[in-house]
Amino acid sequence: MTRSKAGNSAPEHKAANELALLDAIRGRDRRAFAELYRLYHPRLHGYLHRILSNRAIAEEVLDDVMFVVWKDARKFRGHAAVSSWIFGIAYRKAMTAIRKEGRYHALLDHGTDVNTVPEKASQDAELIQAALVQLSPDHRQVVELTYFSGFSYQEIATIAECPINTVKTRMFHARRRLKYLLPILAGADEEQDREQA
Amino acid sequence: MNRHKPMSHEQASELLPWLVNDSLAEDERDLVHEHATSCVICRRELHELENLCNSISNVSAATAIPAPDMRRINARIDALIANKNRGQILLAKMREFFGSPWRIAFALQSALVILLGTALLWPQTEEPAFTTLTAPESLSEGQYIRVVFEPTLPASDLSTLLDTMNLTIVDGPSDRGVYTLRLSTTRSAADLEAMLADLSSNGGVVFAQPVPGEVQR
Repeated sequence: MTRSKAGNSAPEHKAANELALLDAIRGRDRRAFAELYRLYHPRLHGYLHRILSNRAIAEEVLDDVMFVVWKDARKFRGHAAVSSWIFGIAYRKAMTAIRKEGRYHALLDHGTDVNTVPEKASQDAELIQAALVQLSPDHRQVVELTYFSGFSYQEIATIAECPINTVKTRMFHARRRLKYLLPILAGADEEQDREQA
Repeated sequence: MNRHKPMSHEQASELLPWLVNDSLAEDERDLVHEHATSCVICRRELHELENLCNSISNVSAATAIPAPDMRRINARIDALIANKNRGQILLAKMREFFGSPWRIAFALQSALVILLGTALLWPQTEEPAFTTLTAPESLSEGQYIRVVFEPTLPASDLSTLLDTMNLTIVDGPSDRGVYTLRLSTTRSAADLEAMLADLSSNGGVVFAQPVPGEVQR
């Protein structure tokens, strides 16, 4: 009925390991930083690539995020999980990039440049991507952080620096919008297939 | 059986996405489950969200992630460290030169005091006042002219000339030898022009011009 988050088998061990790495980074340990970078690279890359829909910009923002992690490791007080802290930085950087580049509107106008989806999954993937880019950045972030990154609503509130009820409200609106959009986009897709046939 | 108060439909419904991603706390998860088993709407919603979640994990799994490339970030960190090191080297050199941090602070403070003192005591050069000979001045009501006499003109001749023309010195001579003279009787424009022509033709006068009109009614 429910799906498990990746790496959920030993979440406590994982959290302790990340905390230890961050401690070492505070002491300017480059090896610990490299390990944390490698640990977070796939999650952050996936998240930023989907949110920003541009691989080059996603990689640039990812480096910005990890540079802040290096610089500000001493500021981490341990009130939240390391992952929430790092994703909080990524969230703000992504929102800044979206605002700065007018990326949200650009996405609405031109669709996405995600070209890494293999043939087999392309139909579903394209449909979901097409629906997601129609959401506002705030709503989309909540969907991304919940379904793609597996965060709890409390963690998302920490990441987005907003009240828990705001997270729930954003998700409520995002769900309603997706429920409206997905059948329409699926219908348009089928129509296109019929025309091509 | 859960000992907590059952969840309302709204409460349970808004938590369904996090039931699907398996991030709810145990007690919350049980309460949402409990509600979903008895609520047709939530069961249907849950089914839809699970489908969405599965599709999303397919998207996620299908997205190729490039291998981490740390060259750029390493270069940025190297630059940051180098900058910090430069600052530390400078500080170390200052420490070596001055001996202790207190002496550095004292030296910096002294330098600041000297700079401030110099700035305050530096002689202020006043902008020279610039006026033209025909520029109006704050003179009392009446008619005025400006005249430059020959430097060689004897004082007695000057006095005679002023008496003849009914002129009184009110200001001057300035640095440039300009006198401001008041006419004792008001004259018409034509008379004034004739008087200025007379003055100009006088060998002892270099220059004669009226002071513009605002003091001349």
